[in-house]
Amino acid sequence: MKKYWLVFKKSLKSELIYRSAALWGVVGAVLSFLIQIFLWQALLSTGARNDTSFPDMLLYVLINSFILQLTRTNVAGMIENAMIDGTISMELLRPISYKGYMLSQTLGKNIYGTLTATVPVLLLSLFFLSGAVLPDMVHTLLFLLSALLGIALKFEVTYLAGLSAFWLQRCWFIRFYLTGLSSIFGGTMVPLWFYPEFLKTLSYWLPFRYVTFEPINIFLMKTSVEQAWVSILAALLWLIGLSAADKLIWRAATKKLTVNGG
Amino acid sequence: MSFIEVKSLSKEYRIAKPEKGLAGAVKSLFHREYTVKQAVKDVSFSLEKGEVVGYIGPNGAGKSTTIKMLSGVLLPTSGMAKVGDIIPYENRKENAKRIGVVFGQRSQLYWDLPVSDTFDLYESLYSVPQKRFRENCEFFTELLDMKGFLHQPVRQLSLGQKMKANIAIALLHDPEVLYLDEPTIGLDVASKKILRDALKSINAQRRTTIILTTHDMDDIEAVCQRLIMIDQGQKLFDGTLDDFRAKYHDGFIVKLEFEGLFPIWQESGAYALLEQEEHHWLIKAKPDMSAKAAMIDLIEKYDPMNLYVQEERIEDIVRRAYTLNETA
Repeated sequence: MKKYWLVFKKSLKSELIYRSAALWGVVGAVLSFLIQIFLWQALLSTGARNDTSFPDMLLYVLINSFILQLTRTNVAGMIENAMIDGTISMELLRPISYKGYMLSQTLGKNIYGTLTATVPVLLLSLFFLSGAVLPDMVHTLLFLLSALLGIALKFEVTYLAGLSAFWLQRCWFIRFYLTGLSSIFGGTMVPLWFYPEFLKTLSYWLPFRYVTFEPINIFLMKTSVEQAWVSILAALLWLIGLSAADKLIWRAATKKLTVNGG
Repeated sequence: MSFIEVKSLSKEYRIAKPEKGLAGAVKSLFHREYTVKQAVKDVSFSLEKGEVVGYIGPNGAGKSTTIKMLSGVLLPTSGMAKVGDIIPYENRKENAKRIGVVFGQRSQLYWDLPVSDTFDLYESLYSVPQKRFRENCEFFTELLDMKGFLHQPVRQLSLGQKMKANIAIALLHDPEVLYLDEPTIGLDVASKKILRDALKSINAQRRTTIILTTHDMDDIEAVCQRLIMIDQGQKLFDGTLDDFRAKYHDGFIVKLEFEGLFPIWQESGAYALLEQEEHHWLIKAKPDMSAKAAMIDLIEKYDPMNLYVQEERIEDIVRRAYTLNETA
């Protein structure tokens, strides 16, 4: 385990070098938060829906951006780059599981951005947060569990997409589709509860809703404890299924591997 | 059973045939033809523990591909390789624990962090006792003269400094086998010498098996007892350095120096005039002649002011071996 911890630490340390990138990342995060907040404030004040309060929406945006920040740097992009310039051969020389290595690396890269971007946004949101209902103990714990699974699931899906680079070399278009699919069926732009019935049904057949949408619903206590367990179980099943799939695909990928550039 | 066993190892690549022009590029989106390139063709050899082998061949001969298969990165198309008791490409992680690899044109270092950070990472990767690992760190830092830049970000280092760091990293965990793919690129003469001496002493003290590919024949002469030559994926020669000389040796070189004008060259079957400069000749003598006989003969014929006999350099022999193979 220690080696994964070190990969994480060194990856985080590499991020710390570029302070201006972090600073501008903060500005970006704050702006995008404000835009979403004002947009939802305007939409909700038309009074067309009364099942969603503004504080709910605020928490929705907040948690969403937090989890998305944590999974921002894309494993798929990293695998693609390693394939293009051939550094994949160096990574495979290390006695460490490739998937574990990539996971630690990604988390290390993202945690700094998450912390720097979330703290100002969190402070900012305090101005708007009056009237928000915070979850009870049980829901908080369930939320943490489901958020953790969500982050793992997002990584898993992206990792699988990234493995396609072993065949395709360039897989940016797959990443592109993945981003699209996860914002539609994961409800990262617009909560799924505003969706028409058929899209909602469809979203149950895909893993994306378990990444941020379900955890947020638990946090907002829109999900009962029993339902929360169902969604946690579903996320877990997805995770197990996809991990099994990635093992098979990894085996095929290493057979397929060609190393670019000598 | 030898320590490293390679049997009929082959690796094929499928290469898409490039089409000419934009129209061709569009066409290739729909239909593509492939050619199969045999990077390594039916190569077999075996190595005992502690051997130091030079693995040479012209560019694109398949050296790196062989090393990538031996280190578990690439899967062979057919044939097999065994290192210790492990089949590297089937058991990549186990194999990785006992090997050290340097790919001359690639780096294992964190680009934004100092070399010492990469050292930390490698300490956690291998199950070498901490004390031993730190000793090695100190030893190789000293040996490769790295103290001055150990704490500088890697992106600010020179090519040679990065190379030294990469070599050190490959050695920190006391590997049983060392694969060095062109490890002397970018090193200055002094560093090359240090590296060669280091390799020799590592081999002597720890019985580390070393496979070294290089285009610098001085590396081979300094370090290797044995030579394997491949070209176009196929093994051409496998034996000691002396055998290699004997096989491809084609006489020796005599240099004659003259004070004033040189005499008239007399064509003869025993010699070939390689080079004619203002004050000297370079003459190649046939291998069946003894150096003594050639010297006496040449002195009598041309009366030079000075005369030197040079053994043909291994680099020249290798160059001839490559071209011999191409014309054959």
